[in-house]
Parts: sequence; C-alpha cells; structure tokens
Amino acid sequence: MISRRTALRIGAGVAAAGALGAPAILHAQTKTLKITTWGGKWGEIMKATVLPAFEKEFKCTVQADQAFPYVPKLQASPKNDPLYDVLHTNSNEQWNCVVEGLVMDRITPKEVPNVADVYPYAVSDKIVGVSIFTSAIGLGYRTDKGLAKPTSWKDLADPKLAGVRGSYIIPVNSLGQCHLMMLGKIYGKGLQDLDAAYKALEQLKPIKLVDFTGQMEKLLLSGEVSEAVIHDSGIYRYDGQNQPIDFASPSEGVMALEQVLNVTPGSKVKELAFAYIDYMLRPDVQKLLAEGVWYSPSNKKVKLGPKYDEKLLTTEAKVATLIQPDWKWYNARKEDIDARVTKILKG
Amino acid sequence: MKAQAPTVASAAPANRAPFDAGRLAYLTLNGLLLLFLLAPIAIVLIFALNPTPYISFPPVGVSLRWFQKFFATPEFTNALTLSLWIAGCVLVLSVVIGGACALALARGNLPGRGWLTAFFMSPLMLPAILTGLALFQSFLLSGVGRPVWGLILAHTLVAVPYVIRTTLAVLHNFDHRIEEAAAVLGASPVRVFFEVTLPLIRPGVFAGGVFAFIVSFDQFPVSLFLVVPKGETLPVVLFNYMKFDLDGAIAAASMVSILLALSVVLVLERLIGLKAYVKL
Repeated sequence: MISRRTALRIGAGVAAAGALGAPAILHAQTKTLKITTWGGKWGEIMKATVLPAFEKEFKCTVQADQAFPYVPKLQASPKNDPLYDVLHTNSNEQWNCVVEGLVMDRITPKEVPNVADVYPYAVSDKIVGVSIFTSAIGLGYRTDKGLAKPTSWKDLADPKLAGVRGSYIIPVNSLGQCHLMMLGKIYGKGLQDLDAAYKALEQLKPIKLVDFTGQMEKLLLSGEVSEAVIHDSGIYRYDGQNQPIDFASPSEGVMALEQVLNVTPGSKVKELAFAYIDYMLRPDVQKLLAEGVWYSPSNKKVKLGPKYDEKLLTTEAKVATLIQPDWKWYNARKEDIDARVTKILKG
Repeated sequence: MKAQAPTVASAAPANRAPFDAGRLAYLTLNGLLLLFLLAPIAIVLIFALNPTPYISFPPVGVSLRWFQKFFATPEFTNALTLSLWIAGCVLVLSVVIGGACALALARGNLPGRGWLTAFFMSPLMLPAILTGLALFQSFLLSGVGRPVWGLILAHTLVAVPYVIRTTLAVLHNFDHRIEEAAAVLGASPVRVFFEVTLPLIRPGVFAGGVFAFIVSFDQFPVSLFLVVPKGETLPVVLFNYMKFDLDGAIAAASMVSILLALSVVLVLERLIGLKAYVKL
C-alpha cells in the first residue's frame, strides 16, 4: 500500500518531470516557422514545392504570410514575440526594420553556411540580412513601336515617348525610388543628387505612373506604355509567349532589386529561421526559383539553363553592373522626397 | 361670323403635354446618376469577359476564361467561401446586437442616450484601417493571436452601426400604443416583442442586416491586419493578387462579388420584403 507521503512524492516527481519535459514536447509539437513571402508565380512555386520540402526535411510547419503590408504588421507585434521569424521584403523595407530593431543587421556564414557562397552584393554594406536573389532594374520597351533598343537611362526622356513612358508612384514603390536616384546619377553628381533628380523628373512629364510592377507589365503588354522602368524578371517571365516586349540594360548600369531575407531578433525559433535562409540559398532551390520567376540567384555555385544563364546576372562581370542604392540614406529623407515628387508629378 | 376651321397645327397642342424643362432636367439628372453608378460595373464586366491577358479597352472578344480561372484557383474559392461564411456570421451578430441597441436607444428612457448613440456609431467615424490596426495589436498583446472569431468580431464592430441606423429609422415612426394594447390584452413582454415589436421593425433590422453582410463581404481595411496565412478573405486575396498579376481574374472576381451581394439583397427582398422599408 502506498502511503500518503509516498503518493505526494510520486505526484510531485511526475509534475516536475512534466514541467521540465514540457518545453521540449511543446517545441516538437508546435515548431512553426512564420515567414513572409511573395504571391504570384513565386508564391505558387513556394507553396507547391519549396515549403513542403522544407517542412518535410526539418519536420516543422511553415506559416507563409502573403498578405501585405508586412512591415506595419511586424511593427505592431511584440518585439519579444514577433509576428514573423523570417522577413522577406525588398532592401528598402529591411533598412526601415533594422533601424527599429525589428530585424538583425547582419547574417554571417556562421549562422547560415551558404552565405559563404553568395556574390558580394548579397551581403554588402548596402544590405541588411542576406539577398537571396536580385532583379536588374532597367528599361522595358515595346519591340513593335519602331523604337530602338534603349542604351541609356536618358532614352526614357525621348520626346517621342511623351505620354507613353512609364514609371512608378515614388512614395510607394521602390523601383520608382531607384529610378529617382538613378536620375540623380545620370543628370547630376550621383545617386544622392536629389536636385538634379527632381529637375530630370520634371522633364519626363507626361508619364504614366503605377503602384506595382505587375501593373507596369500589363501596361507594356497592352501597349499603353512603349517604354518603362521595370525589373528584368517582369519582362523575361513572358519569354516564349510571343509578346512584343524586351528588356534593356542601360550602359550606366542597372539598379538592384534585391529579395532579402532576414531574421527577427525576438524569434522563438531562430535556428529554424537560419536553416530556412540556408535552405533558400541551396543551389537546387535557387535554380528552381530563378528559372521559375527569372530572378538572378545570389549563390555563385548555381548553374542555370542556357537561356536563363544568357539573360540573368550569373557571373561576377554581370553582377558588377548592379548598382545598390543606400536605402538608409534614402529612408532618412523619404518624407521630404515624397512631398517633393508628389508636387512635381501631381496631375 | 364664319367659324374658322381648326387647323391641324392648332389642334395638336391640346393632346400634347406642355414642355416641362424641370421634368427634363430631373430625368437627365437621374439618368446621369444611374450612369455614374452603373458604369463601373459595366466596365468591370467588359474586363471580365475580355480574353486578353491584361486589362485593356476596347475588348477584343468575349470569353469566360477569367471566370474559369477564378473558380479553378483554390486561393480564390477558399477566400470566397471564407468571406461568405464570415459575412453570414456578421449578419446574424449585427442584427442581434444592432437591433437590441436600437431598441434600447429608441425607448427614450435610457440615461446618456446621446452619448450611447455616439458611442455605437463611433466605428463609422474612425478610419477602418486604424480600427483594424488597433484590434490587431489588442489581439496580439492579449495573446489570442489572430483567430477567425476575431475577424468576425472586427467586422461586426463596423457593421453594427448600419443595423442601428436602419432600425432607429423604423422605430422613429413606431406607434408604441400597439405594444401597449397587446400588453393590456394580456400578452407577456416576450410575446409582445416577438409578435408585435419584431414584425414591425423587421424591415429596418433586415435592411441593416443586408448592409452588414455587404460591409463584411467587401471589408478590406479592417481585414488587412487580421487575416492569417491560408485564412485570407476575398478582398485581401484580390489585393495581393493584383500586386503580381493584373489580369481579368480580378474583374471576374469582382463580378462574382457583385452578383453574390445582389443575390443576397434579392433573396432577402423575396423573404421579408425590403420594399416595405424603402417606402417608409
């Protein structure tokens, strides 16, 4: 017969063991990685192939948020229990986040071994986190309108393109912001020469402006614009569909539109978050996504098919044409810039 | 004196209504108003039926490919189902809460009636995006995450004022003597409510319910912060889709939304006769 004292001891022991063991059990049961990711074709590949394979290999669940806006949601969530473990956004937003302590400033090969194999731009001082892919921002144009292939950013100012040139609503689109900085470089002293940029922007009127790159693709396809600022993947993704559009890399260089992954400092599954970034940098995963959406892979070891290799930034020489803006500098002046460009382009 | 034979010209005005410039202006204004309200729907329909892979005008043909794409895409159909389910829940909750609030406010003996009315109407005064953000933070800080019931409550919050307004409008013309007569004849308060009060205010309550359904079904700013992965409502899915693919599927989705909202109104009209409310 068990005495009352023994029963209490056994009970306390079981309770203590349960309490000690609980976190491990809980961890095993609810290991969920919360990430942000894009929609469209990228989202289709992620949901159909990449994420299920990651979940299987790492025995976890990935909760992928495709509903914008990511940064305000992250800002509004507690820092010690953030809404996301891995934030996937463009570089401009990552810089906003790092200033507020919402993401890590650097990711090194120590945490993510595959970082050792990326091109220097992917972890340069213009990047917080790591860029897993990039697009080249240049000029898209119609091939059926009698236009010569653009060779310079200045070609967009051709008077023949009045009303049929396109760019973006600068306060809300990073391609528009890149274009503005590029105007400073082309017509002034450099990317940060805003006065020259404003003056050049004035000369581009009348110009059609849109919010998203997807809209610009459709404007080009429908012929509503003949030449526009766009990233290469926005044009190349129509490869083989017999569309009269093409992409031109201006001789002054192309701007980088990086796809950046970063980890939130308060993440409860930081190791899994790093594993996810490492996974996204694996050559096979990089190849799958690069050929699916025409993004240039960051991993130097990736070997793409010939038609992708020909067009995307897959060598040190091609990557050297990328110009990375200083988003920290830009974000610090964004309010003033927004007010100024809105005044210039209103109506 | 010889009577002059009436000419055709002089006889005609007797049968023709005199020219009424005011009536013509009235009809023109109504016509323009209808055009203003219906033109966007017509344009959406044209885009939905245009087979080109981008939204363009003029259309090059008629095709149902975008409707097929819409119904063949699980993201769209799941979001549509979720939106309908949430809107149905919101309709029921709003009718119950809003109807009860309106009755309490209309009785006239409630202390702080003016303040309470302003309080219940306040969700209409706040930008919906701020309501969504505030609820998002509240849910996260209280540790409940972003459950679907939270989304239903959030939609209910912005839908209740519509039910209150329409019910108060009915109650404004309500003759309380009918309730008193029923009570004098021996009906219990519960019976008076269900057999006298409710049938009389029903058109206002259900008109508010229709508004609540549509407000929830089309709700975007409040949902933006409160949806979870794989649990997005149709407006949120459409917004995210537009960022990457701007094709006719968006227009087809809009047409489906419009037809569903119209169906709800028509069904309710057939069931409870919303015209009675319109005539008030």
